[in-house]
Amino acid sequence: MEEKILAILEEHCEEALTYEGNSMMEDGIIDSFTVINVVGDLEDEFDIEIDAKYVVAENFRNKEAIIALVQKLLEE
Amino acid sequence: MQLLSYSFILLWVLSFALFYLVPAKKQWYVLLVSSILFYLITLRGFPLNLLLTGLTTYYCGIYLKNSLEKQKEESAACQNKEEKKALKEQFEKKRKRIQLLYFIFNLGLLVFYKYATLVIPVWETFAGKSAGFLAKIVMPLGISFYTLVAMGYIIDAGRENCEVETNFFKLLLFLFYFPAITQGPFNRFANMKEQFAKEHRMDYGQTVRGVQRFVWGAFKKLVIADRIGIFVDNVYGGDITQTAGSILACATALYMLQLYADFSGYIDMAMGVSETFDITLPENFKRPFFSRSVAEFWRRWHITLGTWFKDYVMFSFVMSKAGRKLGKTCKKKWTNYGKHVVPIIGTMFVWFLTGAWHGRTITYLLWGVYYGIIMSISLILEPQYEKWKTRLHIGTGKGYAFFCMVRTWLIVFVADMIIRSNSVAQAWEVFTSFFTRLHLDLLLSKTVTSYGLNKYEFLILAAALFIWLAVSVGEEKGQDIRAFLASKPLVVRLLCYYGIVVLLLVTGIYGGNYDTAVFMYQSF
Repeated sequence: MEEKILAILEEHCEEALTYEGNSMMEDGIIDSFTVINVVGDLEDEFDIEIDAKYVVAENFRNKEAIIALVQKLLEE
Repeated sequence: MQLLSYSFILLWVLSFALFYLVPAKKQWYVLLVSSILFYLITLRGFPLNLLLTGLTTYYCGIYLKNSLEKQKEESAACQNKEEKKALKEQFEKKRKRIQLLYFIFNLGLLVFYKYATLVIPVWETFAGKSAGFLAKIVMPLGISFYTLVAMGYIIDAGRENCEVETNFFKLLLFLFYFPAITQGPFNRFANMKEQFAKEHRMDYGQTVRGVQRFVWGAFKKLVIADRIGIFVDNVYGGDITQTAGSILACATALYMLQLYADFSGYIDMAMGVSETFDITLPENFKRPFFSRSVAEFWRRWHITLGTWFKDYVMFSFVMSKAGRKLGKTCKKKWTNYGKHVVPIIGTMFVWFLTGAWHGRTITYLLWGVYYGIIMSISLILEPQYEKWKTRLHIGTGKGYAFFCMVRTWLIVFVADMIIRSNSVAQAWEVFTSFFTRLHLDLLLSKTVTSYGLNKYEFLILAAALFIWLAVSVGEEKGQDIRAFLASKPLVVRLLCYYGIVVLLLVTGIYGGNYDTAVFMYQSF
């Protein structure tokens, strides 16, 4: 699962893979358009629905947070 | 009551003293009473709007909380996933209906107050009679700000992204916290709840930092923004058709700085006041004029408004059923560009709303549409830019970075020219003057000093801008200027403090016909 998520991130925003901070959206690493495209691809890939309530800076603060979000939604 | 007034300073000092004198559990009462006093003194009337927004927000929040709890209870008894899903949909439908009613009511209030003061005088002129009590309507202080803050809270409550406040008065404090009520920054309940509730101990260092930030904000407002304002008002208030393009360009460029100094000055003052109460408000500016793109500019300018629109409007639209459906259809139809359609619609919608929120004239709507188009074009062309940059081997040097900054300034320059003009026709007149009658030589002639600022005033302005630039460059490099000052010997610190206070008193723009008290963003 992680590899698939990282591949999606690599396609839309390579910088996200090497980013080591804690606020990817505020730091301008990933903008809202990229978030929208990443969310779309994650939904298609894992057959999940990422509601707007999950699309917050906290869940997109770094790649680990995105992986954790997908994991949580898969378990629901 | 303005942040730069004796009455405000008095309220601040008294609240500060009381805040640290009362028991920790009662500290938030002091802030609430101060906020209500601030509002009552400023409004000079019964704050009906405040009460209506407060009550509807409170009861809507409580309804959402109860509904979510009930859904969880009933969900536990469900036999399978399908049952749970159906139950969730059923509850969500009801919650959305209540939220929709709440939004209609509060947005209705905002639109009513914002546009009634514009429409009623026109109606009176055409009808030839007074509109009665309606003619006495004034736009309530901070309505554009607290309405969005309240709506954000209700959206977060529905999404379970924040706890629902069950104490009406604590909710009132969050909505109407006095340093932030007139011009923001936009607070999120999740960030503020704990801060209002915790015990605050008086900290000398923190108080000094708060006062420093307040004085720094006053410096930006009184020495820079209000000084520039004299020149800009005289240029734009005169006969534009007879004014040279170079003078208009100079006034517009200075207006960009005026707007920034005025608004960020207010935010510094609000944050400084709040810091003395040990309450941290979210940052609203991160040196936007160092941005290399318009998108970055808006990540650094009025940050809390940008994130509000992104989180609550943009993502809500894109992630909605209609947004998803449209997105999938477009992706299938146009393989290469289909994925951009929904974000572009969302962007244009958000910028249209941002324009409407900022002002009540067609120039503000045009300003919003202008930014929406720029953002959308850069979204589509970004892959091409990257290709060109690789081919031309540019994109890493300082020269290119500076070029990108200048490009951003030019885009913002045109946007600010639009909102500073009284009408679209005037904006067009100003724009064409840059090409038809530039007369650059006038910038070095006495013409420049005939718009209210003599050469000494320009020298003071240049010195103040230099200080501001030096501080900004330091901050951009990651330095904490206040910590740097604190590390210096007492004599140096005192010299700096007295220096800036003397500079404020001697070179600040006070009194006369020019009203220093009013902040530009307050009218938005």
